[in-house]
Order: sequence, then structure tokens, then C-alpha cells
Amino acid sequence: MEGCPRNREIGPKLFDLIPQGRKWYQEDKNNIDQEKKLELRLGPPGGDEEDRSAMKKKNNNYTETRNIKMESEDKSFQGFNSNHFSSSNKTSQKRTAPGPVVGWPPVRSFRKNLASTSSSKLGNESSHGGQINKSNDDGEKQVEPKREGMFVKINMDGVPIGRKVDLNAYNSYEQLSFAVDKLFRGLLAAQRESSGSEGEEKPIIGLLDGKGEFTLTYEDNEGDKMLVGDVPWQMFVSSVKRLRVIKSSEISSALTFGCSSKQEKMRH
Amino acid sequence: MTQDRSEMSEDDDDKQSPPLDLRSAAIAEPSSSSSSSSVVVVVDSTPNKSRNCISSSSSGSLTSQPFPDHVLENVLENVLQFLDSRCDRNAASLVCKSWWRVEASTRSEVFIGNCYALSPARLTQRFKRVSSFVLKGKPRFADFNLMPPDWGANFAPWVSTMAKAYPWLEKVDLKRMFVTDDDLALLADSFPGFKELILVCCEGFGTSGIAIVANKCRKLKVLDLIESEVTDDEVDWISCFPEDVTCLESLAFDCVEAPINFKALEGLVARSPFLKKLRLNRFVSLVELHRLLLGAPQLTSLGTGSFSHDEEPQSEQEPDYAAAFSACKSVVCLSGFRELMPEYLPAIYPVCANLTSLNFSYANISPDMFKPIIQNCHKLQVFWALDSICDEGLQAVAETCKELRELRIFPFDPREDSEGPVSEVGLQAISEGCRKLESILYFCQRMTNAAVIAMSENCPELTVFRLCIMGRHRPDHVTGKPMDEGFGAIVKNCKKLTRLAVSGLLTDQAFRYMGEYGKLVRTLSVAFAGDSDMALRHVLEGCPRLQKLEIRDSPFGDAALRSGMHRYYNMRFVWMSACSLSRGCCKDIASAMPNLVVEVIGSDDDDENRDYVETLYMYRSLDGPRKDAPKFVAIL
Repeated sequence: MEGCPRNREIGPKLFDLIPQGRKWYQEDKNNIDQEKKLELRLGPPGGDEEDRSAMKKKNNNYTETRNIKMESEDKSFQGFNSNHFSSSNKTSQKRTAPGPVVGWPPVRSFRKNLASTSSSKLGNESSHGGQINKSNDDGEKQVEPKREGMFVKINMDGVPIGRKVDLNAYNSYEQLSFAVDKLFRGLLAAQRESSGSEGEEKPIIGLLDGKGEFTLTYEDNEGDKMLVGDVPWQMFVSSVKRLRVIKSSEISSALTFGCSSKQEKMRH
Repeated sequence: MTQDRSEMSEDDDDKQSPPLDLRSAAIAEPSSSSSSSSVVVVVDSTPNKSRNCISSSSSGSLTSQPFPDHVLENVLENVLQFLDSRCDRNAASLVCKSWWRVEASTRSEVFIGNCYALSPARLTQRFKRVSSFVLKGKPRFADFNLMPPDWGANFAPWVSTMAKAYPWLEKVDLKRMFVTDDDLALLADSFPGFKELILVCCEGFGTSGIAIVANKCRKLKVLDLIESEVTDDEVDWISCFPEDVTCLESLAFDCVEAPINFKALEGLVARSPFLKKLRLNRFVSLVELHRLLLGAPQLTSLGTGSFSHDEEPQSEQEPDYAAAFSACKSVVCLSGFRELMPEYLPAIYPVCANLTSLNFSYANISPDMFKPIIQNCHKLQVFWALDSICDEGLQAVAETCKELRELRIFPFDPREDSEGPVSEVGLQAISEGCRKLESILYFCQRMTNAAVIAMSENCPELTVFRLCIMGRHRPDHVTGKPMDEGFGAIVKNCKKLTRLAVSGLLTDQAFRYMGEYGKLVRTLSVAFAGDSDMALRHVLEGCPRLQKLEIRDSPFGDAALRSGMHRYYNMRFVWMSACSLSRGCCKDIASAMPNLVVEVIGSDDDDENRDYVETLYMYRSLDGPRKDAPKFVAIL
């Protein structure tokens, strides 16, 4: 019952009601669900206190409606929201049940998994592109940092540093090829400089036709390594898992594993 | 001391900053008598047109006289070089046009507390010789998932503007910013003399971005990744540092959740003779740590990595860890212990006596393991730990660490109804033993007013008091009363208090105390507290130095929000989430205060509850509302 956590907690033998003026303090030592009728309070059954301002009552209405709505909707921040509202309701005097509240206690996510990491040294394996060590106790949404981009890794022979490209940013192989040139031109020149040969920046061209010094290849979702450029762009985007820029001289050896027959046909 | 603090993520490091950081482009000066004519200033690139909006008398007298002195300006430049503190610099820039101009041309370190308070162009127009840049982005509550991702705080526009304006840039220090690999690549490309990169609580980049920085910034002295989310791009970034001797003085990557190439790291440390600070991540084992220590006895600050091993070590070959630590005579700051095997903890005994800073906050250490260690740490000034050390451990701290300035106790099990191993007993002990305490962050399950009052009386040097009683609305567990008197005593007795975070059961009375006595309070964090609008009104009508106000889940409504309109231009930001605000009121405020950006952050479209404001985040801005707001942010 995420919607209404307000009136859940009291066990009769553990009551400690201290009426003070208009306020109720309840100290409960254990959070067992109880039927509403066992609860004693001054206010109306909605759980409000007598001296609440009109705005707060109004707020409660909103949150009531909202809570009901939350359960029927499937929003990406649902966890984020419903908890927000469930906690804003009762404002001060009542201890709310241990329904998880977003961001409370205010401990950053990487400090939350200590109970599990200390017992097993595996800890949380970092997931590719995902958020690490995000605890789920708060019922928050899983966060993916790049929801709208389609990022694939791209490595280049001779350059130790890999990059990532967002394939959704391009509509054609030409655009992709241009982007690869932009990404690696500088890095390649720096590599060459450090290994003694001239470090002048030369554009990386001919990636798609086999004519340049380098050729662009990819690994698809079946693990096959293929040359880029043969299938329609959208089909490529839907099947590519990672990219690699290899020396054109090494095309045949690089594609030895799982070279598709189609490729062989197209590439003389 | 400050140096030690910068080892760990510092939540409030701008203790001395004035209300406004770009003061001469200010909006309503608190000390000015003419505060009614607030808003102003366009900072033009031509200095002749620049004005300072403060006391009309000073600008009046200047414009009428011819101002001859290039000589004077030269002298001024030479003198202003010595002014480091931005407080002083802001003050100097307000003296007159000429001083403004000279100050702007000599300021080398710029601090921007809110990346949306101004545009990058404004920065580069005013300050021409910036070599060091500190920028903060998201509000702090974003750390606790109270803000949807992709909210903003992008580093990209800043780095691209600075790339052209400040090619000599040497230092970038970011907090809670969204930084991409491309931003890092641009940084590495654009600043040939780049020396220091510090990323605190940042995200959006991965090890490939770090690799580029490591590879291209040949003069890099500091690479500190602190509490940031770094994606594992499976890049061996350690190998990307240049082959020859490096300038590295500080390398911190404890937050990087990716395995590293240890051999490359060893090589890197071996060719980094100036390396003083090294913070390893949990993928470095104890055996590997041992090897590093043998090669780097000059270290002053060490993050120990996992402090454990994967396989069963052969006992006869087990390295003498204690000996390695003894060789590190200069280590004064120790952290790490990410996956601590407690039987190895005694290895650190040789360095305990020298330690000024110790961070055990990732280590589940029991009191019995802890006491023998802490009993040697007489010089300790900064101590972070988990509550697993219990009240007993805190008593041991109180007995030994008489020089303690900063204490942070984090919950091992951060849930509302978990076991509470620390309580008012620990707090009381600390207050009695550590009289020089300046800053405390304490998570607990139960607390009493008496202990908090005791601390207020015993520790007059407190500037930061953050108490988090994890159960919401929990009263004093002995008396059953609200925690009003405790927090009241803190604001009354701790005259130097600048930062306060409250919790537990609190009525409006607590806020009355805060408003009346919190004369120097700049940052206030409130959660699940107060009874009515009066509480917030007390704070907004009091607390003259309030800059940053963050409130969640408290019954404060429109009337309270309106009561602060006289001062929102003098604050860095106000955050209110899950309170009782209506959109109409926020809109009114936005219209009445054009230089205030009023963001209402919701979750997608909310047609039914259009009037209810889930999260309000508002801040002053010199350049109007931002253009990069995502769809779930409505700027009123």
C-alpha cells in the first residue's frame, strides 16, 4: 500500500500518547500494521491535526489524488514521485511507517551498499554505461545516463584510448566516417609522434571503401566482425555492438572469425 | 588543516565567501542603504561603461572628476596581486571603476557557486586572466536522488568558452557538474599548461575521458576524482600517462569502479617523484598496496584501496605490511579500506601517531578493532568513520583525539529503523573530549536534547553542525520532547556557526531560535520539520547571512515563501521539495523578481495537479533563465 503509509504503525501496548496542546506525539517502538480503528487521534480520520492550515489540507488532497494516480500510471520517475508524496503527507507529528522515502536518510548512493560489500568482496561490478552502487532501497528509478543516445565503443589500431560514438547522432555512413576522423585524428597523430614518426595530423579517410590506410569494421550482435558500409544504415545501427578501426592491410586477418559470406562477395 | 580537508569531499568549502561572488555585477547589496533600487548591471566589455551599483555616492563622485592615473593603476595592479581571498577581491572591486577594472584584470582564480547564475560569456568578458576556475553545479539534494537525471549543470558551454578565452588555464575544480568525455578531450586539447583537474561529485564521463587527460596534459600535477561516477569504458587509462617522468603530485581515483592495470600504476608511481597524494580504488589489493608503498615512501596522503586480497595468501610469503607503513614516515592522511580485512588493520600502527586525518568511513570496524588504533592517534584533526565503532569507539576518540576539528559518523545501515549503534552517549563524549571541534556530521537513531545542548556548550568553535536523526520526526528519546531546545542551544551558543542541518521532531519554536540566533548561518538544511509557515518565516525574516536554503518534506506554503522575497536576490539558492507550495505563488514570485530563475521541477506532465509544486529550485541569475532546461523543468 504505497499510497497511504500514514496510518499504519501502532501497536496498542506500545502506545505512548502525550497530548500537548494541539499536538500528538506518538512514540512507537515497532512498526506493525494495525487496523485504523486502533489509532487514537484528535483530528479527522484523514490524519490531519486540528490546526493545520488550509493549504496543507489542500496539499493533502493533491497528494491523495496523486497517490491514487501513481499506482495506475507507469512513469519513469514513479519511484521518485510516489515516495515523495507519501512522505509529504503527514508532516510532523506522526512517525510514518518504514515505507522507503527517496533520499532519506541523506546518504549518497556509494555509501549505501556497505552492508553488502563488506561481506562479499565482489561488491558491485561496474556495469557498462550504467550507474554503479546505486542502492535500490529507496525504490528509486534505475538511472541510465545516456538514455537517448546509442553509444558504442570504438577503438583504433595503434591508439590505446578508446572512444564512444553516439550512432543516433548520424544518419549515414559518411557522417559516421567523418566523426571517426574527428575523434581519432589527433590521437593518432599523438601516437605517431610518441613513437618517433612524424606527428602531423592527417585526415583519416577512405574508411569505407578499402582505399584508405584504415578501414572501419564492426562487431555485430552475433559476434561477427564485419566491414562497415554494406547493409542499409538502419540495419547496421540495430545490429552493431562495437566498432573498430583497423589497418586496411589487415582486413583479411581481422575478419577471419565469423566473416559473413555477404562480405566476402562484396569485397572481391 | 585546510589541505587535509580537501582530501575528502568538502560540502561547504566556501566559508569565507560573501553573499555575492560577482559582486559588482550585483543585485541588491545587503549592506546598502539603497536596497530598494536593486537590480542591475550589465557588465560590458568596455570598462568605461561598467558601473558598480552600490552606493551611489561613490560612483557619483568619480564620474565627475577626471581620473588621470595610469600610474595609479599600475600601482594598484601590483598591490592587488597580493589579494587572494575572493571576499577581499570582491570588496576591492566595488571601490570605484578603476579598482573594478584593475581587479578584473588581475583576478586569477574565479569561483562560481552556481553555474546558472551567469553565462560563460559574462565570465570571460569581465575577467581576462583567469588561470584557476572553480564551478559548482547541481544543488546538494540532487545527491540524494531528489532530482531527475539530465537536469543540467553541463560543463560543455564553460569549457568551450574558456578554451578560447583562457588558453593559459591551469586549474579546473568542478562540483556536481555533468562532464562528458568530449568535454575532457576539449580541455586536454585546449590548455597546454593544464595542471590540476579536480572533479567532485561529478558524472557523465568515463575512463576514456580520463585517459585523454592523462595522455595529453603533460604538465598535470593533480588529477583528483572524488566521489564521482566514472563509467568503466574498459580503457587502461593508467597506461596513458606519458612515458617520461611526470609532474604528478596528487592522484586520487578511489571512486573509479573499474579495475586498473597495476603494473602500469607501479611504473607510473615510480616515475612520479613529486607524488605526495595517492588514493587507490578498491581494485588494488593489499599486496599491491605493499609494493606501491615500498616504491613511494614520500607519500603524505594515502588511500589504501581495498585493504584485502582475493586469494588465500601463502603465509610464509606474506609481506610485512607494517614495515611498509613504517617506511612511510610522512603519511599524515589515511583513507580507503574499501573492503577491509580487519586482521590486517594493525599494519597501520606505525603511522597512527602522525596522522592528522583518518577516514574509516568504508570500513565496518567494531569497537574492539578500533580502539587499539585510535588510542595512538593523538594528532588527529579530521576523522570520518561508520557508526559501527559504536558509542564505545567514540568515547575512545574523545579520550585521545584532543585536537579533533572535524568528525563525520556515517551509518553502516542507512535505514530509518536499523540498529543504532551510536547515540547521544557518543555525542556527549565527543563534546567533552574534543573541545576544539569545528565541524560535525552525525547520523544516529536516537538523540537527546541534553547531549546536543552539552555539545553547544563544550564546543564553542563549531561552525558546522549537521545532525541526522534517521527516524523522521523522532523526539528526544528520553524525554519525548521535540528537539527544539537542542538545536536552539546550538544556534545560541555556537556563535561561529555557519552551517546547520536539523532533524528529528521539530516544532516552529526551533525555527524561531534559528531565525533569532543564527546570525552567521549561511547554509541551512531542513527535512521533515516544522509545523507551519511561521517556521520558515522565522528563518527568512531572521538569519541575516543565509545563502543556501534546502528544505524537503516540511509543511511550508505560499505565505512563507512570499515572506522571503526581500532577500532572494541575496541568496545563492532556495530549494523546497514536497512542501506545500502552489504554482501560482511561484509564478507570482517569478514575475516580481525578474533576476530570479524559478524552476519548478516535476515528473513529466502533470495535468491534473498543475497547481502543486513538487520541487522548487530558485536562484538568482545575471543572464536570465537557462536555455538547456529539460522538459520536466518549468521555468516560470
